[in-house]
Amino acid sequence: MIEDPRTALAMHRWMVLSRALDEVCCRESAHWFPAEGEEAVPVGSFYGLRPDDVCAPAYRGAPIVYVMRGAGLEYVLAGALGKRTGFARGRHFNFTAPIELRVLPYIAGDLGPIISQATGTAFAQKYRKSDAVTVVSFGDGTSNRGDFHEAINLGAVWRLPVVYVIQNNHYAISLRLDKATAAKALVDRALGYGIPGVAVDGNDVLAVHAAVQEAVGRARAGQGPTLIEATTFRMRGHSAADTAAYRSSAEVEEWKGRDPIRRLEERLSAAGVLSAEKAQAARAAGREEVEAATAAAKRHPDILPTDLGMEDVFATPVQEA
Amino acid sequence: MPGKRLTFAEAIVEGIREEMHRDPNVFLIGQDIGPFGGSLRSTLGLWEEFGPARVFDTPVSESGVTGVCIGAALEGLRPILDISFGEFLAAAMPQIALHAPAAHWLTLGKARVPLTIRTKVGDGPYTHHPQSYEVWFTHIPGLKVVMPSTPADAKGLLKTAIRDDDPVLVFEHMYLYHGVRDEVPEGEHLVPIGRADVKRPGRDVTVAATAWMVHRALQAARQLQAEGIELEVLDLRTLAPLDVPAILASVKKTGRLVVAHEAWKIGGLGAEVAATVAEQAFASLKAPIVRLGAPHALIPTHPTIRRAFLPNAHDISNAVHAVMKYAA
Repeated sequence: MIEDPRTALAMHRWMVLSRALDEVCCRESAHWFPAEGEEAVPVGSFYGLRPDDVCAPAYRGAPIVYVMRGAGLEYVLAGALGKRTGFARGRHFNFTAPIELRVLPYIAGDLGPIISQATGTAFAQKYRKSDAVTVVSFGDGTSNRGDFHEAINLGAVWRLPVVYVIQNNHYAISLRLDKATAAKALVDRALGYGIPGVAVDGNDVLAVHAAVQEAVGRARAGQGPTLIEATTFRMRGHSAADTAAYRSSAEVEEWKGRDPIRRLEERLSAAGVLSAEKAQAARAAGREEVEAATAAAKRHPDILPTDLGMEDVFATPVQEA
Repeated sequence: MPGKRLTFAEAIVEGIREEMHRDPNVFLIGQDIGPFGGSLRSTLGLWEEFGPARVFDTPVSESGVTGVCIGAALEGLRPILDISFGEFLAAAMPQIALHAPAAHWLTLGKARVPLTIRTKVGDGPYTHHPQSYEVWFTHIPGLKVVMPSTPADAKGLLKTAIRDDDPVLVFEHMYLYHGVRDEVPEGEHLVPIGRADVKRPGRDVTVAATAWMVHRALQAARQLQAEGIELEVLDLRTLAPLDVPAILASVKKTGRLVVAHEAWKIGGLGAEVAATVAEQAFASLKAPIVRLGAPHALIPTHPTIRRAFLPNAHDISNAVHAVMKYAA
């Protein structure tokens, strides 16, 4: 039984596109951070938000959220390929989208500060008495930064319209979660902040979407933040170049059986919403779309040695005397 | 412009009050800035006037709160963040040094972070937190750093900082805070960021100084006048971006340069000023440049040893005598 087939099909399409992005980008760039196996978390968390809501997706899986928000796939790929038309023009990782899409950029190379910044966009939403909300996701590794604690405590005490999603993929580059915390579950930390904590199967996109939407509803109604732990698994290395030799193949094999795209397809097929053949066709179409966008992006202009960006250091230039 | 006589702290509070009345997007946030009135009365009366919708008392979470301000600024608000004392900036370093100044550049000039961060540093009647950490930030592209020495400049620079679309750090000196009252213009009094100010013109030696050291230099100037030595006291006022044309113009006139600040001499702002002059006005120099700053140990809290640590008018006079006597 699929309650909302239209939403389920849309999320299927985004997950398929995200998987295709990984396949192509891992081939094209050793620095791509693949989200294979984790697609249900970014897609389920950020699907169905309003244009005035703010999205702050975890870097792993962020590119598909940029496309979901309206960024051109070709330009996301141009960024990954190091082209001049990327949204950050080579100034930083490709974890930026056009600011008018209300997606927070990864401003620097460290993890954690974005949780406070997303709490700040929620602060502005409340300050302006709007019912817009902010959804921010981040990894289990980042949940051990002090940023996590300070941000969630502030969001909670001020009852800000923000949803915190832990994309728990079990690994912080090479460190497995059980070596990083003695907590039985990261979601238990919600208790310490006096906010609801919700654990969800992070490989079930319908469950992730339902949990986040419920939290979004609470946030819009002025009932403050929610901490959601979506448990999933990083199927590839940290980056395309990482062979992940530090972990056992047994756990990877185990998680292969829980692939979020196949699980959704099985449910859609059982509910008579999408046949196996049509699902295969959708996957082929996703790959074609990404390959076509990649071919187009490769024809974009290269970054020039003169693209230093000095004109963008200050927004308000210093007046000459 | 008509003025009134205010202390440094009163002038800043008046500047904030005017800007909060002018623009509903301006809000004040920090620790103990509500009914307590701010550390060293840094926000006195603003809570009573604007209330909890515009003045936000925060828990001890400098990093998280700075991040909240960046997020709010990206959404178009204009936060004034009160970081009680300079030492606490260290807790928020990723947000201040890595994130706030990079957002505009990284988004090809689209995102704006109009964030004003005020904090207190330096010598003073208050025993704690005497370290001067302003130079941590002058190194970072995208940050503006101001350090006023008079009530009028404090108000004018703060108002400009609030209207500026970049992150601006305002270093407020604790010795000046409740010091002598001075004339402060009312209303639309804006001091441009990036502009040094000649506080006393003179022909013989340029003393480029910051905050309390400006007053020490003026004190030295009065003493040296009796000997027939005329100091030019250049208040750097904005530390980043540095007003290089003003520094060069003064040195080209006097041919001699002493730089004085309370922060450590090693790697301090004086080094940058001296290097800039050596690079761009070497031919104008009649003597080597002298830098004055704290010795390279932590600045102690006890007033007796603290005063012994920091340059005073006597030290400045000695430096001036040295550069006046120098003969190549």
